[in-house]
Amino acid sequence: MSTSTAAAIEIGQELPSLVRQPTQRRIDAYSTVRAHSIHSDETWAQAKGFRTCLAQGMMSTAYVSDMMTRLLGSGFVKGGTMSIAFVKPVYAGDRLTVRGAVKDKRQEDGRTRVIVEVSCTNQHGQQTAIGTASGLLP
Amino acid sequence: MTEFKPLDYDTLQVGEEFVSDTQLITPEDVETYAFAVEDEHPWFSGDSPFGGPIAHPTMLGNQALRLRHSRYIVRAGLHARMEFQFLEPIRHGVRTRSRGRVIDKYERRGKPYMVTEFVTEDEHGTVLVRGQFTQMLFRDIPKEQP
Repeated sequence: MSTSTAAAIEIGQELPSLVRQPTQRRIDAYSTVRAHSIHSDETWAQAKGFRTCLAQGMMSTAYVSDMMTRLLGSGFVKGGTMSIAFVKPVYAGDRLTVRGAVKDKRQEDGRTRVIVEVSCTNQHGQQTAIGTASGLLP
Repeated sequence: MTEFKPLDYDTLQVGEEFVSDTQLITPEDVETYAFAVEDEHPWFSGDSPFGGPIAHPTMLGNQALRLRHSRYIVRAGLHARMEFQFLEPIRHGVRTRSRGRVIDKYERRGKPYMVTEFVTEDEHGTVLVRGQFTQMLFRDIPKEQP
């Protein structure tokens, strides 16, 4: 899989978006099925005030990791960072669009660190996760 | 033997430390994670620039997130924020362990939060991932929080 070079990445550039659908089956695989879990026990989730089971917020960090690895490859796997706030629940069956835009490029120990503003937005247009991620150009 | 107690904000101490069990990174676990997050990058099942297959950088997030379960009964919690630094690739076949420490607790708008910093290492002591996360503890759960 090809990754980017410094010259090819411009501040303000939007990354190709990803669409992800955390179905209940995928949530079960991610979180494991447990009693009294808002992720896998619908009755318990509803008792806690949610309409159905929730995806773990952490699943959204994996989506962002996917996008950043596509951009930077090994420079994200080794040298990457992420800071994400989970601002709305993600429910089983939601359809998320993962977006990123290059916010800055900085020199770091002779390499270029690329900082990306990232977000996940559900099918209703509500942002569910926002933050930044970064990595080093190979 | 560990004596588990329900997690309670008032008795939780800043400075409390947690240690996870070890986790062997198996190809099957990586495959399951890939299915869960819809990310089947070829490096996760075949060769990679690091020599052999690796796991997703975020795969051990749950090992860290569940640190408090090593001592407490936690019926549910809401994850508010996550920070990662990915320092080394997570290679198939390594055994990993996470250690964490509560670095803050606070109440905001009547809701209790705890902040934990963590480090995840392999069996040789190589630091793979470090970071910190903020979790809201359940008292009364509003409907529009993750």
